[in-house]
Amino acid sequence: MSDILSLRFENLTFAYPNEAPLFESASFEFPMNEIVWILSENGAGRSTLLQLLAVLLSPQRGAFLINEQDTTPMTFEEFLPYRLNIGYGFDLGGVIHNRTMLENLMLPLIYHEVLPYPDAKKRAERYMDRMGILRYKDLRPSLVPGGVRKVICLIRALILHPQVLLLDDPTVGLGFESGLRFFDLVSDLRAAGNLRHVFLSSFDEKFMLNMQFRQIAIDDKRIHHFPGDIAPGVAS
Amino acid sequence: MTFLLSQIDNVGRSVARNLEYTARVLLMVYLSFRASFVDQAQGFRTIFSVVSMQIYFTGLQALPLISVLALGSGGVVILQSSTNLNLLGGTEMIGKLLVMIIVREVGPLLTALVVIARSGTAVASEVGNMGANREIEALESMGINPLSFIVFPRIVGGVLSVVGLAVYFVVISLLGGYFLTRLMHNLPFWFYLDSLTRSVAFEDIWLFLLKNTFSGTIIFVVSCYQGLSVKRSPTEVPIATTQAVVKSIIYVVVFNLMVTTLFYLSQLRKLGVL
Repeated sequence: MSDILSLRFENLTFAYPNEAPLFESASFEFPMNEIVWILSENGAGRSTLLQLLAVLLSPQRGAFLINEQDTTPMTFEEFLPYRLNIGYGFDLGGVIHNRTMLENLMLPLIYHEVLPYPDAKKRAERYMDRMGILRYKDLRPSLVPGGVRKVICLIRALILHPQVLLLDDPTVGLGFESGLRFFDLVSDLRAAGNLRHVFLSSFDEKFMLNMQFRQIAIDDKRIHHFPGDIAPGVAS
Repeated sequence: MTFLLSQIDNVGRSVARNLEYTARVLLMVYLSFRASFVDQAQGFRTIFSVVSMQIYFTGLQALPLISVLALGSGGVVILQSSTNLNLLGGTEMIGKLLVMIIVREVGPLLTALVVIARSGTAVASEVGNMGANREIEALESMGINPLSFIVFPRIVGGVLSVVGLAVYFVVISLLGGYFLTRLMHNLPFWFYLDSLTRSVAFEDIWLFLLKNTFSGTIIFVVSCYQGLSVKRSPTEVPIATTQAVVKSIIYVVVFNLMVTTLFYLSQLRKLGVL
């Protein structure tokens, strides 16, 4: 894993095929060591921004720089050390259907040989237990409630203890209590020195009031710091 | 003249499209093998478990269907051959005829068609659904290369299964078919077995392995490629599955035909006819 110290867009342009660009010559230095709440109108590109940060999408022009290194020309293998330090929680979908819930969580740990099997199992079970979904561990995704699938997707994003955590609408399909449990887990891992840079998009203001965050906004195909900066919150 | 030009234009476009398709598919195969072997960080144990699952689904689970087809086709060919060769007085030729029909042609082709129907469709729809459910994106986000995790094990598992199934088909067809029709012909077993073993040449084994290895590769490469072509919508899945079946059948049949033609041309050249 490579340390991630800075994230920056340089004249970045991105458009989906046959659609108007969502970002056009966008340059932005992302705030680090914070929980960053990404704001925008619906369809202005919050999810796309998170996918660009996760390098799941590539810009048509410009560059996305991690530690001032352009990620655009990197191959999958070259980007892997950074990738393992970036967790991505999907808004919808993303759970591997031919694996049980426990196997879904253990997959990155086992595949990258981060932990031996018993330790990987222990870590996955501990997080499932903390989220109150341990009883679903041996079931496949099609047999569990949608909320459980969402939780699995969220905790899988942080199972490798990455430095960057990207969460696309983390509270969609999640009960309020599960949401709070999840952010307790995030806070604990942050306190332990992991998940240093958290970026999330959400319309759930009630939920966001539970944490301290910095805001950035997408407007007019560019990214801006939001006036007011650090918002008052209950916990960091 | 305009009509002729437009026809030439259409043919040219179709050739270019097919060449582009082939190039894309070959690139996918290259990248999947490269990702699996070059990058040491990839979990070989996890990939191996996917290969073994693929062998289980494609190979083991297809055995009952292959058995029925092998017994049926073997029985029919043995019955027809023994009856007609008996009438013509060439019963000792039965081994050569069966090797030609079952080992060289029917075995590889029927096995490939069964695998296309069972596993080609399954792979294309499974991979397509993975794309529609954002599972492929999820693998990427976990640092798992979908080409080494999804494509490579399916090609390897698929090819091993096709070769294994084809060997099983030939054995069941030649032996099972004999016993199935035992009461309807008067071929002594040892005579039959001796005729068969004397008829199998090195080139038959070589041709058999070539056909099955490439048919297996074609089926699983095409199915994976079509499955991966699904982007976001579940409505793309049945289209991708149909395309996988149609393209696999066409490529496998054309490949078998080409190999057979080249093989017989080389045989004729060896005999001095050409």
